Amino acid sequence: MEKILVIGSREHAQRAVDVLYRTGTLHLTDVTDHLSAEEIRLRKWDSEIREKMAGLLVKIGGVLLTLPDIKGQESRWREMYEELYWRETSDIIEEASSIVSTLEERIRELSTRKTDCELRIKAYDRYQKTIEKIRPLEEQLPSLEGFEVTVLLIQTEFADLIPLIEHELYRITRNQCEMVSAEIDEDTIAAITVFNKRFSDEVHSFIFTKNVNEVRLPQEYMGKPFEEVLELIERGRRACREEQDEIEQTLRSLSEKWYLKLSVMKHVLSDKLQEIEVFSNFGQTDYVFAITGWVPARSLEKTKKAISRKFGNRVVIADLVLSGEDLEQAPSLYANPWIVRPFEFFMQLVRPPLYTEIDPSPLLAFFFPLFFGLMVGDIGYGLVILGIALVVKKRYADQGWVQSVMNVMIISSVPTMFFGFMYGEFFGDFGEKMGWLHPVHLFGISLNRIEAILPLLILSIGLGVLHVMLGLVLGIINARHMKHRKHMAEKAGMLAVIAGGILMLASLAGVLPSVPVFAGAIVLVAGLPLIVYGAGAIGLLEIMGTVGNILSYSRLMAIGMASVILAMVANELGGTLEILLLGVIVAALLHSLNIVLAMFSPSLHSIRLHVVECYSKFYEGGGTPYHPFQRVKEG
Amino acid sequence: MPDIGQSLGAAIAIAFGALSTGWAQSRIGSAGAGTIAEKPELIGAAIILEAIPETMVILGFVVAAMILML
Repeated sequence: MEKILVIGSREHAQRAVDVLYRTGTLHLTDVTDHLSAEEIRLRKWDSEIREKMAGLLVKIGGVLLTLPDIKGQESRWREMYEELYWRETSDIIEEASSIVSTLEERIRELSTRKTDCELRIKAYDRYQKTIEKIRPLEEQLPSLEGFEVTVLLIQTEFADLIPLIEHELYRITRNQCEMVSAEIDEDTIAAITVFNKRFSDEVHSFIFTKNVNEVRLPQEYMGKPFEEVLELIERGRRACREEQDEIEQTLRSLSEKWYLKLSVMKHVLSDKLQEIEVFSNFGQTDYVFAITGWVPARSLEKTKKAISRKFGNRVVIADLVLSGEDLEQAPSLYANPWIVRPFEFFMQLVRPPLYTEIDPSPLLAFFFPLFFGLMVGDIGYGLVILGIALVVKKRYADQGWVQSVMNVMIISSVPTMFFGFMYGEFFGDFGEKMGWLHPVHLFGISLNRIEAILPLLILSIGLGVLHVMLGLVLGIINARHMKHRKHMAEKAGMLAVIAGGILMLASLAGVLPSVPVFAGAIVLVAGLPLIVYGAGAIGLLEIMGTVGNILSYSRLMAIGMASVILAMVANELGGTLEILLLGVIVAALLHSLNIVLAMFSPSLHSIRLHVVECYSKFYEGGGTPYHPFQRVKEG
Repeated sequence: MPDIGQSLGAAIAIAFGALSTGWAQSRIGSAGAGTIAEKPELIGAAIILEAIPETMVILGFVVAAMILML
């Protein structure tokens, strides 16, 4: 990372910000962190225009929401964007305000009419449904002289209330009432009530106090036969639809004229607003402006060229000389080869690395698939995991995190198949039973996971020793970079204690007969003062913690063994069933469960071994991720 | 065929490991769920913390397997 100072004549300030925003390489820092008030009298940039732009953006958004979208003008859109972006912000605001004020009133009126039409159509639908329900009663109505008909609308969830209302109406009208209820849609029930007019006031007052909706048909429908009412409804609905079509037509013609321009303006203004949001980091005097920030070394030339192409030497970029303390403030940017990049996703589980410390992603990229393969270790499972990962990757091509996780699964499926070959496993012991493959014999030991418990346990713990010691070595390198002598001594002491302990054990077990036990003891004891110097006497307790960390790697064997036993159970259970198809289905279901577990649990434990056992030996974290000043992607 | 002492030893090794892990995970799980509700960005840390006590049952399983099979 390089820290730069962009400085130039104040008249070019806005344009320079535009160029930096479009280049998208600068991680901004507060200019006053570098240039103090004594060096140069800097004023912060005012951003009064922000309120105006934010308000305008809301209005444009509202207009665009009402206008129908015009598709298929991408190239014209890009041309207009380029043309508009480099215009003065004040001009863009002025033009946008004028367009919005012309359109706003018109759009609002059209939108209100459109909503009104929709509401009227809904009301017509409801009237129609209600009238169709009460139509069978029409013939009886003339004979019901002296009776009144009212329709109550009740939500379906309150259907239980209908008998209660009916009971109350019987009481009020002294049994001179009839009630018929029927569903008019899935949410509403209509209860048609015929009662003696003498009780009209009491009935309406009761309905009103109980907060029940009464359908009041429009005045013009009153006293007309239902047939005629239905015709009026249909006519009204048709008129509404015609009005809706006319409104749509007007909106479409407005859209053809303005949509593209407003859409471009919205994006340009939104970009300019994002620029203004960071103006608080910039400084200016009466004549010059100053911007500071971090640029990755590989993007420095690109940034300088972008500025010089636009401004010649009227705006310049100066490389700042940095102290070690400055470097600790630098943002971190992962710069890994493609094979490591998917594993950066898991780095989100810990705080981002400091700029001055080692990025642990390559370590994760090497050991994660190794641990995963050791635990799952099955050719069949490896193939299924590979297949699932490829399908999911294709299906969710637009989801960044899914792509990362599936790439990790694809990479991990390779060691899974390799260890599957070593263990002689294809869907558990199915491959071995069929005579397709057998566990490999290494140094006279069969790698059958059920039999070779001890060798695999030793292998797991051996990998733990290697992994933890690698962590300690990286810890020494980090401490050296950061000039933390005590940390360095503590890590070196711990490394010596572990190495000494291993030598002693190897000598006692006869694995290294040429190394005397006391040689290991000397290395171990030599490490103790270093630990005490680095972390104090309490640091000695950490030895037990580190031993615990190493023993924790036994999970590589244990989880793998649990997985193979479940696979064997699937095969056994499937094999004992007398109906072939049923046996295959049972075995397939159990294997599927095991594969899902195999994708989840070994991943989690592999990550855990890194984060808890290994990173704790060297990783500090707490850095600032590199966020270049550029357009924030939407959606 | 393991004798009764071996079987009992293996059962104790895995049972106490499993019970302890279950108890610890229940506490961590509820605290983790509360944490994620307030700060969803801490989901990664919560998952890692949830996996930490599994060491107990895994080591119990290793010991039980060694008792029975060695």
